Amino acid sequence: MAGVRLEHVYKKYPGSDKASVTDFNLDIADKEFLVLVGPSGCGKSTTLRMIAGLEEISEGKLYIGDRVVNDVAPKDRDIAMVFQSYALYPHMNVYQNMAFGLKLRKFRKDEIDRRVREAARTLEIEHLLDRKPKALSGGQRQRVALGRAIVREPQVFLMDEPLSNLDAKLRTQMRANISKLMKRLETTCIYVTHDQTEAMTMGDRIVVMKDGFIQQAATPDELYNHPVNLFVAGFIGAPAMNFITGQLSEEGGAVRFKATGINVVIPAGKAQLLRDKGYIGREMIVGIRPEDLHEEPVFIEASPNSVISASIEVSENLGHEMFLYLNGLGKDNVIARVDGRSQLQEGQNIKLAIDMNKIHIFDKDTELNILEA
Amino acid sequence: MQQLMNGSVEIDTMSKTEWVKAGGAKLPESGDQLELDQGYTLVTKVDNHHVQVLRTQAELTLLEKELLSWLAKQGSMSKSGSVSASEMERQARKLGEWLQQSIDAGEWRSEIPERFELHHRLFDGMIPFLLMSEQAENREPSYVELEKVLRSYLSDDMLLIPLREREWLILGTDRLLAEVETNEGDMIERGETKEALVSLATGLHQMITEEWGGDCHVAVGEPIIPTESLVYAVATLRETINLGRKFHVGMHVHMPWLVHLERLLSGIPEPVRSRFMDEMSGRQDLFTDPETVSTLDAFFAMDCNVSETAKRLFIHRNTLLYRLDKLKQEAGLDVRSFNDAILVRLLMLLYKVTKRK
Repeated sequence: MAGVRLEHVYKKYPGSDKASVTDFNLDIADKEFLVLVGPSGCGKSTTLRMIAGLEEISEGKLYIGDRVVNDVAPKDRDIAMVFQSYALYPHMNVYQNMAFGLKLRKFRKDEIDRRVREAARTLEIEHLLDRKPKALSGGQRQRVALGRAIVREPQVFLMDEPLSNLDAKLRTQMRANISKLMKRLETTCIYVTHDQTEAMTMGDRIVVMKDGFIQQAATPDELYNHPVNLFVAGFIGAPAMNFITGQLSEEGGAVRFKATGINVVIPAGKAQLLRDKGYIGREMIVGIRPEDLHEEPVFIEASPNSVISASIEVSENLGHEMFLYLNGLGKDNVIARVDGRSQLQEGQNIKLAIDMNKIHIFDKDTELNILEA
Repeated sequence: MQQLMNGSVEIDTMSKTEWVKAGGAKLPESGDQLELDQGYTLVTKVDNHHVQVLRTQAELTLLEKELLSWLAKQGSMSKSGSVSASEMERQARKLGEWLQQSIDAGEWRSEIPERFELHHRLFDGMIPFLLMSEQAENREPSYVELEKVLRSYLSDDMLLIPLREREWLILGTDRLLAEVETNEGDMIERGETKEALVSLATGLHQMITEEWGGDCHVAVGEPIIPTESLVYAVATLRETINLGRKFHVGMHVHMPWLVHLERLLSGIPEPVRSRFMDEMSGRQDLFTDPETVSTLDAFFAMDCNVSETAKRLFIHRNTLLYRLDKLKQEAGLDVRSFNDAILVRLLMLLYKVTKRK
């Protein structure tokens, strides 16, 4: 087993004046499950492909364990890859598919057999070993692809959107299976996805990327509760964080945030920080998670300085929770996540209280989270 | 063999000492034969200390025994004896050079002349694959290494022919198509051939990527009789990869039957192409949005079927309709109408080529 280290790694394609990956620095610990996440074109797959050896590193150093592997061929990096397309070898049965890589590396027959059967048992595909890929379902094929990677007992697993070809139900199931499997195998895993739910549920640590730059590398909890900038705050969480642009002002010893339909008091600790950094009187962006808007009377009574009024434009009841799309707050719709048993109707005017201790405040120009800087 | 001989047949291994004790030659060779108590015994393979033998209790005529002995000799020669790896490479390179010259001269319909040593292996139905490696120069491995890997993946009777730098023609037996089938003996339907070829090529790409030399492009054609149409097949596959790289960046497996439109567009003179793009001025800006591009790609891949496209994109049908309506509003093109769909498809393909200028 081994960790992976990227030191000032760049990827520049010939003819392009902009780097696809810029100054990527990261230390991935041995046995860590690291997720690279970001929108399409952010450089996450390119980074993974550089680690795999499928893309040349334009600048910087890549270590697997203590070895610099910039110039080592993919097959000699002791890695195993599982890609979105997970093509199986169609003319071989499942056993042969899983054994192929080991056979090529001249492993003994009994060792190949031991590894294949053990992996098949782990993935619960023992009964499929004689079948050809054509006779397998999407989920079964995916498990065979995983099996092919597992039998190699590599130092590092690399997975590029391995679940994106599966339907939603199977994806959820496989997500849990992969997490469980990686914990059991205790092998470093680097996993690429554009799906933030996948990232949040699977990763020990998540790297959020945008335009080739690392935006933030942190645990799921840290990313959700302490995003460093507007992008991370908006990318992590579904429904996404609400952003409201407004003005900060000092009135009667309290710092207030004012925007269309909003006039609330910023808690003392946060207010002092804003004063110290000279933000009073400036236009800011306040971020509020949908679950930090409360319609319960108890909460409203207890928070007289953060009550707002809005009308419900659309409500989506998912049973256990309800999403309210609210009008009249800032420029865009604001979404609140409330109890599914709330008897709220579309068109109704309601009062909500913001949990001001959990708000985020972003500099409008730099888009940095002022409270985290 | 058991059916042919009307008796049981088994493969066994004997030490050379045992073979000599039983009356065999001190330096056994494939094709040597003995009548022993256990039955007729024929040497099929020899290594440093052992001989592999075929044994049968069946009653064989002298002619049958001679025929079996001859077959064993031929088998051993074709495996290792007569054609060494370097000789094989030499023959393959010679053929590769001729293929390249024929393509350069525009003689796409040329048949392979009999003077080539490999000529006798090119009469059976074979699947042509073209492999273009994208690895850096210092990583190009030897012919022998690549051939070994491909033999493991395809079969021992595959042929590897180097064409240009980092470009190889791979010929695999068309029996592979039957092996893709779920059950042995199932006949592959004509309509399923292309599907099977795609899966073989995709598997080959995956195998090369993981087990050999990293990133590469693979094109596959329908089975051919190489002596008759190999030049044409190679030229078509090369053109397919070039079109695929140009129009479908990010795809690594290419099929000639999926790039008809691309081939046509590629042949349009630049001024005509530019005029079309100018007339559509402003509309191509839509393709800078990845969501629009992926939505349209999926929509066309699913034959403009809204429900199937929504399923493929894992989005609600109404979300897809909203996106298509947005496109209609912004570009004035409704992809649910046949004529507009054609325009958008052409615009997308041409945009992929022109945006890189």
